[in-house]
Amino acid sequence: MTTTSTDKIVRPTAGRSALPAPKYPRVFGVGRGRLVQYGVFILLALFVLAPIVPILYQSFRDRPLYEAGGILTADNYGKLFTDAGFGQVILNTAIFAFGTTVLTLLIAIPMAVLVVRTRLPFGRLLGLSMQWPFFISSLILGFGWITLYGPAGFVSVQFRQLLGFVPWNLYSLGGMAVTEAVGLAPIAYVFCANALRQSDASLESAARVCGAGPLRILFQVVVPMLRPPIVYSSILIFSMSLETLSVPLLYGTPVRIEVFSTFLYTNGLQSISPDYGILGAASTLILAVTIGTVAIQAKVLKNAQRFISVRGKATRPRLLDLGWIRWIAVVAIVIYIIFGALLPILGLIFRSFTMIFTPLQNPFESLTLSNYERVFTFPVYVQSITNSIVVAVVGAILVSVLALLAVLVARRSPFKFARSVEYLALAPQAMPGIIVGIGFFWAFALTPGGGWIQGTLVAVIIAFGLRALPTAFGSIAPAIMQIGNELDNAARTSGADWFGTFFRILRTLLRPAFVGAIILVFVTMMKEYSAALFLSSANTGVIGTTMLDLWVQGNTGSVASLATIQIAITAVFVAVASLFMKGHTDA
Amino acid sequence: MPEVKVSGLHKKFGDVTVLNDINFTIREGEFFTLLGPSGCGKSTTLNCIAGLETPSSGAITVDGVPFVDTHKKLYVPTEERNLGMVFQSYALWPHMSVEANLVMPLAIRKASKEEKSVRIHEALETVGLSHLKDRYPHQLSGGQQQRVALARALVYSPSVLLLDEPLSNLDAKLREQSRAWLKRLQVELGITTVYVTHDQDEALSLSDRIAVMFDGQMAQIGTPAEIYEKPATAAVAAFVGSCNFFTGRLEGHHGGIALVRLDNSGILVKVASALTLDKGDAVTVAVRPERLSITSRTADVTGANVLETTVLTRSYVGSRYEYGLKLGTNVVQVISPSGDLDGAVRLVFEAEDALLYAGSSVPSAEAAELMTVAS
Repeated sequence: MTTTSTDKIVRPTAGRSALPAPKYPRVFGVGRGRLVQYGVFILLALFVLAPIVPILYQSFRDRPLYEAGGILTADNYGKLFTDAGFGQVILNTAIFAFGTTVLTLLIAIPMAVLVVRTRLPFGRLLGLSMQWPFFISSLILGFGWITLYGPAGFVSVQFRQLLGFVPWNLYSLGGMAVTEAVGLAPIAYVFCANALRQSDASLESAARVCGAGPLRILFQVVVPMLRPPIVYSSILIFSMSLETLSVPLLYGTPVRIEVFSTFLYTNGLQSISPDYGILGAASTLILAVTIGTVAIQAKVLKNAQRFISVRGKATRPRLLDLGWIRWIAVVAIVIYIIFGALLPILGLIFRSFTMIFTPLQNPFESLTLSNYERVFTFPVYVQSITNSIVVAVVGAILVSVLALLAVLVARRSPFKFARSVEYLALAPQAMPGIIVGIGFFWAFALTPGGGWIQGTLVAVIIAFGLRALPTAFGSIAPAIMQIGNELDNAARTSGADWFGTFFRILRTLLRPAFVGAIILVFVTMMKEYSAALFLSSANTGVIGTTMLDLWVQGNTGSVASLATIQIAITAVFVAVASLFMKGHTDA
Repeated sequence: MPEVKVSGLHKKFGDVTVLNDINFTIREGEFFTLLGPSGCGKSTTLNCIAGLETPSSGAITVDGVPFVDTHKKLYVPTEERNLGMVFQSYALWPHMSVEANLVMPLAIRKASKEEKSVRIHEALETVGLSHLKDRYPHQLSGGQQQRVALARALVYSPSVLLLDEPLSNLDAKLREQSRAWLKRLQVELGITTVYVTHDQDEALSLSDRIAVMFDGQMAQIGTPAEIYEKPATAAVAAFVGSCNFFTGRLEGHHGGIALVRLDNSGILVKVASALTLDKGDAVTVAVRPERLSITSRTADVTGANVLETTVLTRSYVGSRYEYGLKLGTNVVQVISPSGDLDGAVRLVFEAEDALLYAGSSVPSAEAAELMTVAS
């Protein structure tokens, strides 16, 4: 195209000369955004691989990592099955995980359908209280259940007096599965409830127009549409019950039932001369299984998103009326909430204020604060409380920042390895806490100059942080997906680079999600303890590890008081943070 | 005002080719429209110019400055291209007032305080919204948001204005008025503008030139009149305006007039065409509904083509009538000012009123099905 200068339109745009676009400095030929992206990628890769690589390496070595002159061998895997009896452990774990998954779904699916899609008395209240067991650590839930339903529990003793025997045995695989299911049901519930809320109401209207009654609609339209969240949450629950430590440890130790996590616990921590080769081999196998389930989960979720019908316009589906059946439903939900979570926790709190907790003697007669006194007279116990708070606060901030960066790189950048960043951030989901602990312990030992970190709070924060990373990522990622990509593009065309786009535009828009992530990570890290079992020294224990110590000593009263303190801290933090958030989202 | 030169643009997502050898040059100050159905690659082309997407291969130059050249491994990032862009969703930053939205690009360019206020005032004045500068985007109507987005794109006097379906979120009445307003503004500013739309009316009324795209291919580039009067392919004819298509076979070719026997009725029609085809070749005759006229059987008519048909349907669509006529197995759409025709009628058109394309290329099988009746 030839253009002579004469037909140029002299007048510049809007009567002004053009303002030139900004020039951004380059380091090694790349902008600062790319540097940040590589930084996040490398940091995440180190973070995730640090605990895994030593475990793999150890599993093929004939002697502990720190001893020189070892040779590589596969003997450890052989020994695992012949000497250590790992086969029985696998069987136990499989029964426990399947049982937990099935029970969880039996609780969660009907409740989600009833609460979200039918007219229930107190429906909103029930829906909210369905979720609160999430805030309680499964260790505390386990303590609570033992307090009530254990062999000498409050309710068990009552039953023995009435019937002459206790019709259940909590210290069994079945008992573990029931307790774990009560603790995990909120997760499956949330998945199903969200799917139900998002489903297209016109599908139900169509069924109604065709003449279908409420029950028919429920079973032929609503429930079949739940297939994707059911599949997804059952894999999630399965993988979570593979790695859980608390309940199997509390129930299984007295009766010598071992699952994956307790096997590592007893072989790594309780044995006097732990066989590191076997420990490494077992960890490797467990990791392979959990990574496998999480990979399946990721694949299912990818496909599942195609099934969920989301409409831009929010259509409020009409709630189905079940008539008298709804009262049965309400009673079932109330039983779950009261007997599954509320009573055990209240029992535990009550236990913390009494000397003896049994129906044989009126507990009000022995009201006392001595359980708390004992905790507060030992500086180590007090320290574990402050440690927990420090770890949770510092960890919540650091992990949320890292997760935010990871989300930005994974979802909002042209970065080559954006996908890998996402996988790395979600990978710790597949890493059981106790394995993370073992892995980092070895990693610090192997790193030249890494010794100083061993046994410090920094080590605990790193390990807990890794465990909490997927939670933080998962809570920020949906928020960023709701912010239209065009807002970024508008900033880019206006002259902001990738980094500037975040600071000028996304930072403010993402603030609520960021605060939400901090709350969530705080709660998660407050509950966490398994990774600290290997990593913390006498002075750097957290509430969870201290509770476990006291439990082993038979000091159940003090365990109850520490549990109460932990619940109180969590409740206060969540309440304050939500108030803070409310005040700021109005602006 | 610079010219935009796009050459040899290819874009592949995995195995899917989204853009296949796109070439065009936009002259200085020109209003250039990329027109096509959704998924044709028009937005991808625009995003390549903006730098929001990187082409698999090809080069883009604006005002002699290369923005992308895959051979030289050259790529200027979006933020350094100094282009103004209005997005389909307007993409106003929701947490900032109108003024703050306009300040941002100026702040990035480190403009002085006076310069900022003068420019913001001028830009808002240009779009007629200076009284709303303290409002937040959600407090504005769709039309106002669209004008703020335009002001934001113009406030730093970019070299080229890129518009990605900016009118598609407005309701029909407002869209027409906004179209006229946008045209006046562009003429007044004289800024080189690239406009993306799937709406043929917008494209025809706004553009100096139009590029019609299908499936990642450039089908035709020309002025609105050229695109409408002389569509390069049957697909362009079908997409821009409505059109009747009849398949047939070539019977002969004399002095620029082709004789075509129509498949639907066996009637022989004369069509002006410069195509060099052999006798017996499959061809498609395309006629726009407004180029056809209907007369009653009793009236005397002269014309190159006079076809005996019957009226199937007649509908009043405001200022004119739309007829559906039965021609063999086809329904023929005709637009006519008279609304009193019925029964057996004659369909009349000159050889120059129809277009001839090689092959039996009916653009959409579904549309063809809907236009078929039992003989």
